[in-house]
Parts: sequence; C-alpha cells; structure tokens
Amino acid sequence: MTQTRSPAGIDLPHRARSPQRRVVGRLLRNPPALIGLGVVAAMILCAIFAPQLAPYAYDAQDLSIARQAPSPAHWFGTDDLGRDMLSRIIWGARSAVFVIVMVMIVNLGLGVPLGAAAGYFGGWVETVVMRAADILFAFPGLLFVFFIAATIKPAILTWAREAGWRDLANSGYLDYAVVIIALGVIGWAGLARMVRAQVLAVKEREYVIGAQAIGVPTWKIIARHILPNALAPVIVALSMGLGDIALSEGYLSFLGIGLQPPAPSWGNILSDNAGRYWRMFPQMIWMVWIPGLILAAVVFAFNFLGDGLNEALNPELVD
Amino acid sequence: MGTLLEVKDLRTEFHTQDGIVHAVNGVSFHVDEGETLGLVGESGCGKSVSMLSVMRLIPMPPGKIASGSVLFQGRDLVKVDDEEIRSVRGNKIAMVFQDPMTSLNPVLTINTQISEALELHLGMTKEQARKRAVELLKMVGIPEAEGRIDDYPHQFSGGMRQRVMIAMALSCSPQLLIADEPTTALDVTIQAQITDIVKRLKRELGMAIIWITHDLGVIAGLADRINVMYAGFVIESASNKELFANPLHPYTLGLLGSIPRLDEAHKAKLTPIEGLPPDLIEMPKGCPFHDRCAYRTDKCANENPALELGAVRHQVACWNWQDVQKLRATIKR
Repeated sequence: MTQTRSPAGIDLPHRARSPQRRVVGRLLRNPPALIGLGVVAAMILCAIFAPQLAPYAYDAQDLSIARQAPSPAHWFGTDDLGRDMLSRIIWGARSAVFVIVMVMIVNLGLGVPLGAAAGYFGGWVETVVMRAADILFAFPGLLFVFFIAATIKPAILTWAREAGWRDLANSGYLDYAVVIIALGVIGWAGLARMVRAQVLAVKEREYVIGAQAIGVPTWKIIARHILPNALAPVIVALSMGLGDIALSEGYLSFLGIGLQPPAPSWGNILSDNAGRYWRMFPQMIWMVWIPGLILAAVVFAFNFLGDGLNEALNPELVD
Repeated sequence: MGTLLEVKDLRTEFHTQDGIVHAVNGVSFHVDEGETLGLVGESGCGKSVSMLSVMRLIPMPPGKIASGSVLFQGRDLVKVDDEEIRSVRGNKIAMVFQDPMTSLNPVLTINTQISEALELHLGMTKEQARKRAVELLKMVGIPEAEGRIDDYPHQFSGGMRQRVMIAMALSCSPQLLIADEPTTALDVTIQAQITDIVKRLKRELGMAIIWITHDLGVIAGLADRINVMYAGFVIESASNKELFANPLHPYTLGLLGSIPRLDEAHKAKLTPIEGLPPDLIEMPKGCPFHDRCAYRTDKCANENPALELGAVRHQVACWNWQDVQKLRATIKR
C-alpha cells in the first residue's frame, strides 16, 4: 500500500481518505470489474422496474402468436404459450435478484456470526460449528439442495393446509421459500469457514488485545474491531458466490423443484422451452439461447466483479 | 504513599503440544502510588506475560494463571468476574503496547478509537468524548489535533501513533499505566520524545507506571525502582541508583557489561553473556541462570535461591551474591 506520511510535527495538507473510499476508487479503475458492475446494475434495475420495463405481462398468453421469432413487437420472440419472452426475462431478473438477496441474507446471517464465534471462542463452539460445516461439505451440494427442497415443500404444504392458510398453500411464495431455505442452509458453511479463518488471524493482532486492554465488551470487540478487518475476503467470496446462487436458482427451477411456471424464472423459461419444444423445432434457437446467455452473462458479471473486488481489497496481491 | 498494586507469587503457564511453558514462575512485586517501576530482562523472560496476567489478557486457553494473586485497590484481579475486570481495564489500569504500527485498528478513525474508552468507562456522549479526545491529542503533543482527529492510523507516523496510543491509555486518567516496551519500535530521537512526554504526563497526572523494557539506558532515566527478570523469575529488585551502582546478581552484571558506554575508552570490549536462557518447558532444578553463570557453585545447580535482602531496599535471588560483591570490589580497585 502506498501511504503518504507526514513527518512528526510537520503539518502537510492532507485529505482524510477512508479505506472504503480507496477500495471504491480502485474498483472503478478496473475495466472488467466495471463491466461486471454494469451488468449487475442492469439486472437490479430490471428487477426493481420490471412492471414498468416489461412491455407485456409475464403471464399474458396468446396462443395465436406462439413460438414466434424475435420481431419489433416481441424482441426476444414468444414461447410456446405465446408469452412475450422479453417480459418473462425481465420479470425473471426480479425473481433472480430476490432469491439472490434473500439467500445472501440467510448465508450471511448464519455464516458470519457462527464463523466469528467459532474463531473467537474456540473450544466446543468451534467444534460444533465446524463439524456442522464439514457435514454440509461432505454431501454433494446439489443433492443436498434436492433433498431439502423435496422434503420441506410437502411438509410446509401440509402444515399450511392444516392451519387453513390456503393462500400460502396455493401461491408461488412457497416455491421462493423452498429455494431460499435450501440454498441458504447449505451456503453458510463456506462463509463460516472463511470467517473463522480470518477471525483466527485478526484476533491475535495487537489492536485487538489493545481493545481488550481498554475493557471493550466481547461482542463489541468481535463486531467493531475484528469483523471489519476480517471481511475483505468474505466480500470477494460473496460477490463470486452471488453468481452461483443465480445459477443454482436456475438449475433448481430448470429441474422443476424451484420456481414453478407461470412464475418467471430464467431456469424454468429454459426448461419449458428446451424440454418441450426445442427438440421438435431446433431452428428456434432464441428460445434457449437468449435465457441461457443471459444467465451465463450474469454469472460472468458476478465473477468479474468479485475479481475486481479482490484486487481492490488486496492491492498487494496484484503487483 | 500507599501500595497501589501488589502481586504475590504469580505463576502463568501455557499448555502447548510440546508441554507446559512456565512463562512466569512465582513473581512477587508491588507498585506504590505514583511510582515508576522498571521491568527489565531479555526477550521471553516473562516481562510482558506477567503484565498481561495482571490485566488478565492472557489468551486462555492455552494460557493459564496457575496461582497467585494480583491485589489492586483491595480486589484480587485474578478472582474477579469478567465484568469487573473489564471495568478496571482501560479505566484504572491502562496499557501501551510495543508496536504503534500494529496497535491501532486500521479501519477506525483516531476519534473512534480514543472515544471508545471514554464512552465505555466515563459514560460520555459522542460529542463529549470527541472534545476530550481532542484535548488528549493536544496533551500528547499532536499538532492541529482538531484537524487530525478524523484521520485514520495510516496517516500518522510511528512516533505520532505512539502518542495516540498514550492518549488512548490516559483517556480515563488511570492510576496505573503499564507501558510494554513503548519505545522499542521507535528510532532514538522519537524514543526520547516519547519518554519525555510520559515523564511530563506522570508529573501532571500523578499515575504510577510499570515500564517494561530491555533497554537499560531508557529505564535509567525513568524508573524509581527496577525489577530484573530472568526465565520467569524476578532475580533482583532495587532502587534505580542502587541497581546501577551496586548490582548484586551475576545476570544484572552481565546485562550492564553488554551495553556500550560513551564515557569509556573506545577499545573497551563488550562482554556478552555466554549461552542461552533455559528452556521454559523443562526448567532447570536449581537457579535458572546457573549454567551461564561465572560465579556458580554446586548448590546453584540443585537449589533455586529465593529473593533475599542484599542491601538497603535491595533484594537479590542468588546464593553467592556476597562473593559477587567482593569480587567486583577487588576488580574496581
């Protein structure tokens, strides 16, 4: 890190630059990261303004215009029920962003406190948390997600019917909940491992002992003195992981245990179009290529962004 | 003046895979109110660990305070609960660490870090704490304190950071300041500035100081009394003048013989102490210094001497200190 220091006793004109601002500055000077940031921003805008941006409703069917090629009226063509693909993809962005944000919250909410506690306290806390993480790692991730999705959905459905909550039982909200719980429950383990390793390294630093020496309570030492110094690699892993979450939602929906049509998801758009019609009409390449490329672009974008963040947060690694 | 801190028979050990490391082995000492106690010894002799034990900052596990008591204002700090020890730390007893480059949190501003103790112990609001932090920075001689209080640690030089550390330590006007080699990582001119600041603040605030160092030159100008430590034992304890004029322990003699002096002839050779300190996992049965000692007798290998009075206000842990004294007298003549 290049630092300008004023020699003792001499006042140089200086500008207080916080570490956060230096990171943002470095990120914005990195072209691939900027591209990634642009794609992610576009996706988030689509998600927020889906009702305004989408030219048609995502579930508006018109069988007379089914399976049309891209045209000025339908930029991305139409699917087998005559629904506008562009509208479904824009609404699909909303599903993807919602799932990503919720899964990220669950992952962070579980992984950061559990990892920090394991690293700081050690002993039995560490044993319990880390062995639980090991168990999650020992399972093939996809299989575990299937298992959770397949077992919790019927359970919640039964419970909702018995409780008389027909709306919940009949609506697509449950599909979102299943995807979020399944991905959230397996995703925290990697974060917890990483946070624990970072906390182990940071807790031996002198400023942490210094904070203990002025009597700062334990929770405040973890939250204020250790975690902010331990989060750089976590932020990087997270931004790369967001692409994985988007992809996971895609394949869950593709395989039919995620979001169910008519709820728009890039995964179920792909499976609808690919599974039923593409083999019969292989010339309709837009039906598969457009949602597929968009999903791929989003995963790439998150990875570019992650790489950029990595370089911005650890500038000494680059040179 | 009353006794502020009294440490009795303190033993701290670390349970590692290789065995038990006996870092502090039954250390007893006291600090009077307003007094400066120097703690000298080479690396790994238990200076820092004994002070961290006083504050109960030893990482446990692997560390453990095996026995002893630390009496501070009528309380035994070894026995009080976590809540109570936290109310003492930073408030009644404060600490300054060795390396100012790593002792400040890089992601927090100077204001946040100084204010933390003020808000915690004195219940100040953010605004009050900020005002006080500016005063503290001025007190330790940081120019344009108002403009620099929102800076981050990387914008300060090493000497300036150590001043910030001192300001943090003194924020709640502690009765005891433990300075763990606060000048070791600084260059000599900055060392002098820092010691001057501490001397001035001690005059102004009247706190007691325990100054840990391996630099006898620094401690000679600061301390009222000096404890010499070796392998986790206090082996000699005397007033500042007495220790330098009349060292009784062969180890202290060795330390004094290994520092260059400006007032001696150029060609005078430095005499190193032969050998290495003992392995703290397998402590020797007798005196820990015996296999490096020029004055050793058979007794030294088998029995460890306790501290005994060798002169007025001068304690030494050596079987042969009288011989050492005589021999030194003949050399001088």
